[in-house]
Amino acid sequence: MRESATGSFMAQAVTQYSVLYESLRSRRTRPIVPTGLDRMVGLARVRLGGLRQGRQYLLSQAEQACLLTPEYRNTSDAALRVKLSEMREAFARQREGEEQLRHALAMLREVARRETGEEPYPVQLMAALALYHGRIVEMLTGEGKTLTGSLAAALVAWRRRRLHVLTVNDYLAQRDAESRAGLYRWCGLSCGAIVQATGGAERFEIYSRSIVYGSPKQIVADWLRDQLKLGGVQSPWQARAAGEGGPFGTSRKGELPMVPGLHAALVDEADAVLIDEGVVPLIIARSRREDDMSQVYREAVGFANKLDEGNDYVIDHVRKRCMLKERGEERLVGIFGAGVAGGQSPLWKATRRGHELVRQALVAKHCYLLGQQYAIVDGKVVIVDEYTGRFLADRSWEHGLHQAVEAKESVEVTADRETLARQSFQRFFRTYPFLCGMTGTSADATPEIEGVYGRSVVRVPTHRPLIRTQEPLQVFRTQRDKWSAIVDNIERVHNAGRPVLVGTRSIASSELLSTLLTQRNLPHQVLNANHDKEEAQIIVGAGKGRNGAVPAAITVATNMAGRGTDIKLDSHAREAGGLHVVLTELHGALRIDRQFIGRAGRQGDPGSAAIFVSLEDEICRKFIRWPANVLRQRSKDANLSSVPGIARLMRFAQQRSEARDRRNRMAVLKQDDWIDKHLPGVG
Amino acid sequence: MSERNTFSPFWHRVRLIKPRLRPHVQVVRQRSRGTRWYVVTDPSSNAYFRISAQAYGFVGMLDGTRTVEEAWNHCLLTQGDDSLTQNDVVNVLSQLHGGNLLQGDIAPETEQLLRRGRERLKKKVFQQAVGVMYFKVPLLNPNRWLAGIEPIFRPVLSRAGLIAWCVLVGAALLALLPHWREAIASVSAAIAPSNWIFIMVSYVLLKLWHELGHAVMTKRFGGQVPEFGAMMLVLLPSPYVDASSAWNFKDKWQRVAVGAGGMMFELFAASLAAFVWIATKDDQGAISQLAFNIMLTSGVSTLIFNANPLMRFDGYYMLSDAIEVPNLMTRSQNLLKFLFQKHVYRVENPTPPTSDAGEALILLVFGIAALIYRVLIFVSITLYVLGLFFGLGLVLAIWTGAMWFLMPAGSLTKWLASSPQLHDKRARAVGLTLAMASCVLLLVGAVPFKERRRAQGVVESAQRSAGFVTFDGVLATAHVRPGDRVRKGDPIVTIESLPLEAALDLTQAQLGQARARESVAATQHPASQQIAAQYVDAMEQTLSLVKTRLQERTLVAAHDGVVVGQDFAQRIGSSVKAGEMLFEVIDDTQLRVAAVLPQDQADWVNVAASMAAAGSDAEGARTPLRIEARRMSNVDAIVELSPSKVPVAARRDLPHAAMAFSGGGSFATDAQAGQQMGEDRVAKSNVFNAYFEAKASSDATTRVLGMPGERVTLRLTLPRRPLLAQWIDRIEKTLQGRAKV
Repeated sequence: MRESATGSFMAQAVTQYSVLYESLRSRRTRPIVPTGLDRMVGLARVRLGGLRQGRQYLLSQAEQACLLTPEYRNTSDAALRVKLSEMREAFARQREGEEQLRHALAMLREVARRETGEEPYPVQLMAALALYHGRIVEMLTGEGKTLTGSLAAALVAWRRRRLHVLTVNDYLAQRDAESRAGLYRWCGLSCGAIVQATGGAERFEIYSRSIVYGSPKQIVADWLRDQLKLGGVQSPWQARAAGEGGPFGTSRKGELPMVPGLHAALVDEADAVLIDEGVVPLIIARSRREDDMSQVYREAVGFANKLDEGNDYVIDHVRKRCMLKERGEERLVGIFGAGVAGGQSPLWKATRRGHELVRQALVAKHCYLLGQQYAIVDGKVVIVDEYTGRFLADRSWEHGLHQAVEAKESVEVTADRETLARQSFQRFFRTYPFLCGMTGTSADATPEIEGVYGRSVVRVPTHRPLIRTQEPLQVFRTQRDKWSAIVDNIERVHNAGRPVLVGTRSIASSELLSTLLTQRNLPHQVLNANHDKEEAQIIVGAGKGRNGAVPAAITVATNMAGRGTDIKLDSHAREAGGLHVVLTELHGALRIDRQFIGRAGRQGDPGSAAIFVSLEDEICRKFIRWPANVLRQRSKDANLSSVPGIARLMRFAQQRSEARDRRNRMAVLKQDDWIDKHLPGVG
Repeated sequence: MSERNTFSPFWHRVRLIKPRLRPHVQVVRQRSRGTRWYVVTDPSSNAYFRISAQAYGFVGMLDGTRTVEEAWNHCLLTQGDDSLTQNDVVNVLSQLHGGNLLQGDIAPETEQLLRRGRERLKKKVFQQAVGVMYFKVPLLNPNRWLAGIEPIFRPVLSRAGLIAWCVLVGAALLALLPHWREAIASVSAAIAPSNWIFIMVSYVLLKLWHELGHAVMTKRFGGQVPEFGAMMLVLLPSPYVDASSAWNFKDKWQRVAVGAGGMMFELFAASLAAFVWIATKDDQGAISQLAFNIMLTSGVSTLIFNANPLMRFDGYYMLSDAIEVPNLMTRSQNLLKFLFQKHVYRVENPTPPTSDAGEALILLVFGIAALIYRVLIFVSITLYVLGLFFGLGLVLAIWTGAMWFLMPAGSLTKWLASSPQLHDKRARAVGLTLAMASCVLLLVGAVPFKERRRAQGVVESAQRSAGFVTFDGVLATAHVRPGDRVRKGDPIVTIESLPLEAALDLTQAQLGQARARESVAATQHPASQQIAAQYVDAMEQTLSLVKTRLQERTLVAAHDGVVVGQDFAQRIGSSVKAGEMLFEVIDDTQLRVAAVLPQDQADWVNVAASMAAAGSDAEGARTPLRIEARRMSNVDAIVELSPSKVPVAARRDLPHAAMAFSGGGSFATDAQAGQQMGEDRVAKSNVFNAYFEAKASSDATTRVLGMPGERVTLRLTLPRRPLLAQWIDRIEKTLQGRAKV
C-alpha cells in the first residue's frame, strides 16, 4: 500500500518533471529569421536540400514502396501489428534507413486499406515521404490530403515522439482525430483533438498523446498561457523551489504547463497558417477595469466628425493610417479647448494623446467598414477574419481601435484590454524543431516559406488529371455592370442544371448578391459568418444538380467556403458538367483565388470557374488607382475584357497587393526578432 | 509629432518587470545647446549611453521595487505630453539592457547572451573589414602605468601650462619665419625616398607621444584609459588610446582638452624641434635632419589629420564637444538624407534628426563639407596608396570605393524598392532617382570635356654641332669667344700641331727628292722610270693629305649660331687631343623641346606620334592635340608646339639630366641599371622621349623658350572626350604601366 503510493508519487514526479523540462526546453528556442547574406545562404541550403531529395527521388521511393505492399497483403493482423511495433522501435531509435522507410510506407499503406478501406496512391505515399523529410508539400485541392497527412503523421510521431497536427478549424481537428484514431492504434500511437470545448484536465491528458490534432489558435493559446504560468522559471528545479503543490508544481499556482514541449508539427493548409495568418498575433488579454474610457472614445468620434478629410487630415487606406495636417492639428486645439471648457473629459488637455484618439477615430471611420472588417452581433462588434470569412469571437483590435469602432457604431464601448502575452503564428511555428506541411497552392508564398521557415516546397503530381475549365477573366467598368453580369452568368449555368458556388470577399457583398438573385427569382443559399450554424447543411446541399423539378443549388459564400470544404457532387450535377465557381472579386493573393476555385473539379470531377472584376473593386482602387481611373473615364463599354493587357493589369494589381502583404509580414517578423533580441522575456 | 503612438505592442513584455540600474553605474548630467542629457556609464565595461532628460526621469523612477508600468504611469502624470511613449520606454530599456546596465528580473538567458556576444563580434569584424584603411589591434591596458606617470604632468596641465604652451609655439613660429624659405627648400630633401624610413620612425615616435598627450589629459580630469593599441591608419602603423571615458566629463571644455591633448603634446615637440633645427641647420648633421623630420611630420599630420574636423580625428571630437552637437557626422548625414527625402522625394513626415534650427544649420554646413572632403580624401588616399604599393592599393581602392559609394547606392536602392515611407510615391521616387542617375551618367559618359595633361620638358636646340679636335696639337688661336654669335664658315679656333707641320716639310722634301729621282731615272735608267713616277704620285697624295689635315687646324662653324663650350679661350697654348670636343655651335633660332612622357600617357603619345609622322602635311587640318609650353621662369608667356619626333616605343634613358629626380625633375633614376646599360640617366620605368618644335618659329617664340637647357612645362590639351572615356583610358594605362613593373 505504502509502496504503491510512493511509486505513484515517483511516477507523478517523473511526469511532472518531464513536462516541465520539455516545455522549458522548447521555450528556450528563440528562432531568429536570418537576414542579408545569411538569408541567401540559408535559402540556397534549403533549395539544395530540396534538390537532393527531389521529386524524382521521392516518387521512385514511393513506387518502390507500392511494390512492397503485396508482401504485407496476406500478413495476419497480429503479425502486422508485431512488424509495425518493430518498425516503431527502429524509428524511435533513429535507426531508420531508406529501406526501412519503404517498408514502413508499404505497411502503412496496407494498414490504411484494412482500417479505412482507402488504399493510398503512389503520389500520396510520395507526399507522405516528403512530409516525413520535413518538406512543405503542394498538392492540388481534393487530392486526399487527410489520408496523406495521417500516413506522414504516423511516421513523424514514431520518429519524434510527439506531433501536433494543425488543422484549419476545430471541426476538422475533431473529424480527423476520430477518423484516423484506428489507423494510429495500429501503429501503436495515441491521438486526440483539442477543440474549444475541451476541458482543462482533458486537455492536459490529450497533450500527452503522441498525435494531437488542433487548430493553431487552440495550441498557440495553450502555449502562451503556459508561458504566463511559468513566468520567469528557468529550470524544473527552480520551479520546484518556488512551487507549492506537487513535486514539480510551477511557481504561481502550482499548475503544470499544458503543452509538454513543441517537438514536431504538421500543418494542414500551410500557406494559410504559415503565411496569411502568420503575422496576426494571438493575444492573451484581460480587461482593464481601472479607468472607464468609454465616454472619451465617444467624444473622440464627435471631434473626428468635425474635421474635413483632405483639408484637416489624410487617410492612408493601404496602411490603414491617418495623418493630421497642420490645419487639422490647429483646429483640434480649439476643439479640445472648447471640449474641456464644455465639461468633457480632462484627458483632452493632453494634446498628444488627444491627437492619437482622434486619429484612431478617423481610422475607424474610414478604414473599418461594417460588413467587411466587422459585423455587429447582439449589439457587439465582432471581427470578421479577412482570410476565412468567419467571425473571430472574443477577439478584439488592440490599443483602443476596437473601442473606437464601437464608439463609431454607437454600441456599448467595452473596457480596454491589456495584453498579457502575444505571439504570432509565424514565431510559434518556427519554435518547432521539426515542421512540415501541406498546401493546396503555395505559389507566391514559396520563397517566403523557404526563407522564413527554412522548408523547401515540393509539388506532388495529381493522381487524376484535372478537368476544370477556366473562363477568361471578365473585367467591367463599374460595380453595377459587374454584378449584373455575374447574375447573368449564374442564371445561365443554373439553367443548365449545374450547381453554382459564388465567392464574395465580404459579408456585405454576399448580402448584396443575395438580393440581386432574389430579384431574378433564383433560389439560393447564403453562407457567411452570419449563417455559420447552417454551414455543414449548406455545404452538403451545395453540390446538388437539377433533379427533375428540384433546381440546382446556388450557394453564395464568403471565404468560409474557401478552405477545407469538400463539396460532394451528386450524379445529376456531375452529368450536367460539375460545379461552377464564380469569383466576384480578386482576392489579395492569387493563392486565395486558386483555393476558392479549387472547390470545383475535385478528384477528377468536371467543373468550371469564372472570375469577375470591376475597376471599382477595392484591389483596383488601392493598387492600380491611376490606370483604373484612366480606363474608367476613357472607355464607354461596360465590359472591358477585350482591352489588350487588361488581364495582366489585374494580375499586376494582385501582385502589388501580394508584395504589400509580404512586406508587412517581414516588418512584423523583424519587429518580433528585434524585441526578442533586445528584451528577452516571455510571450 | 503625429507619428508618435502612445502604445507599444510589446508593452506586456516589460510592463511587470522591476529593473533598476546596476549599483555601480554612474550617471552624469550634461548640458548641450540648452538641453539636459544624462550619460549613463558602466565603468567596468566602458559602455556609455546618452539618454534624454525625459528618459532619465523614467529610468530614475526604476528602483527595483516599482514595475515599469508604475514608473511610466507616474511619468505620464508628472510630465504630461513630454513623457515617454511606451515605445520609447521599450527602446530605452532594451538599450540599457543591451549595454548590461540593468539588473532585475529580465531573464538573463544564456543563449541570448551568447548570441549577443557573437553578434557584437561579427559586427566588429565587419567594421574592421569595411575600414581596412583603419585597422585596430588592442595591445594592453596602460591605466595603472598612466596613474603613476600622470602626476609628473599634472603641474603642466593647467592654465599656466596652457599659456606657456601658447608662448612656446608662438615663439617657435616667429623663429621659423625668417628661415621659411630654407625650410621649404629642405622639404624636398626630407621627402626624398631615401629619407622615408627616418620619417616613418619619427612619425611613430611622435604619435606615441601624441597618444600620451590624450591619455595624460584624460587621467588629469579623472577619466580612465583602459586600452592602448596599434592601428593601421592608411597603411601607416599608429598607436591609439581609448579615451572614451571622457564622454562623461561634465564640463565640455574638459572633453575638448582631452581631444586637444595629443596635438598640444605634438606641437610642443615640434616647437622644440624647430629651435633645434634653426640652431643646427647649417651643419646638415643627423640632428638637424631629425629635428626637421619631427617638425615636418607633426606639423603636417596636425594640420591635415588631427586638427581637421572633417575626419573622425581629434579635431572632429573637439568641434563636436565645443559646439555641443554630439554625433556630428552621423547626424549631419541624417540631416542631408532627411532634406533629400523631404524636398526631393517628398516623403511625408520624415523624421528630422534635430528640431533645433541652429543645430540643423551646423549639421547642414558640416554635412556638405564632410561629403566633399570625403570624396577628395578618398581620391587622394587611393592615389597615394596606389603609388606606394600598386596591387594592395588597387584592392584597397576598390574595397573602399565599394564601401563608400556602392553601399550607400545599395541602401538607396533598397530604400526605394521597399521603404514603406514611399508607399504611394514610389514610382515618382524611382523615376526621379533614375533621372538623376541618368543625368550624372550623361554628364560623365556623353558630354565631352577638355582633357589636359602636363609634362616636363627641356629646351634644346634643333641644330647643334660640336667642334671636335681631329689631331693632337696645341690650341693656337681662338677667333671668337664662347657666347659669340657666328655665321656659317666663320673660324672659331686654330690648332697648331708641330708634328703635322714637320710632316708637311718632310713630305715636301721627299716629294722634291722623288721628283729628282724621276728625272734622273728618265735619263739614266729608263727601266726604273715607272717606279720613280709611282713614288712621286704617292708622295703627292701624302702631301695633299697632310695639307687637308692642316686646313682642319681651323675649326669653323658648321652653321649660324652661338658658340658655347668650356672656356676654350682660356686654353690657348695648351695641348688638345684628337677627338676632344672644344665647343659647340648652337642654333638658338631653331629651338625644340625635349620632353619625357611617362608610359601611362601613351594614349596621347600615340596621337602625337601620328601627328609627327604626318609632318607638316597635317598643317591647317584640325590638329587633334594642342601642345603649349611655358617656361618655368616665365609662366605668363606661352608658345604653341607641334610634335617633331615622337617614338612609338618607350625606353628607359632620359634625354636630359634635368628630368631626373636628382636634377630637380620628377623621374626617379636607377643607378644600377644605368651602370649596366652604360648610360648615366636611366629612369626606373619606361618613358617616351619626345621632341617638339615651335609651330611658328620666330624671335618671339625663341624669346619665350629662352635658352637651351631651360626647363619648360608642357600643357597638352587633348580633344574633347566624355569623362568616362577619359577615366577608363587612364585606369587602363595605369594598369598597363604598372603591370609591366
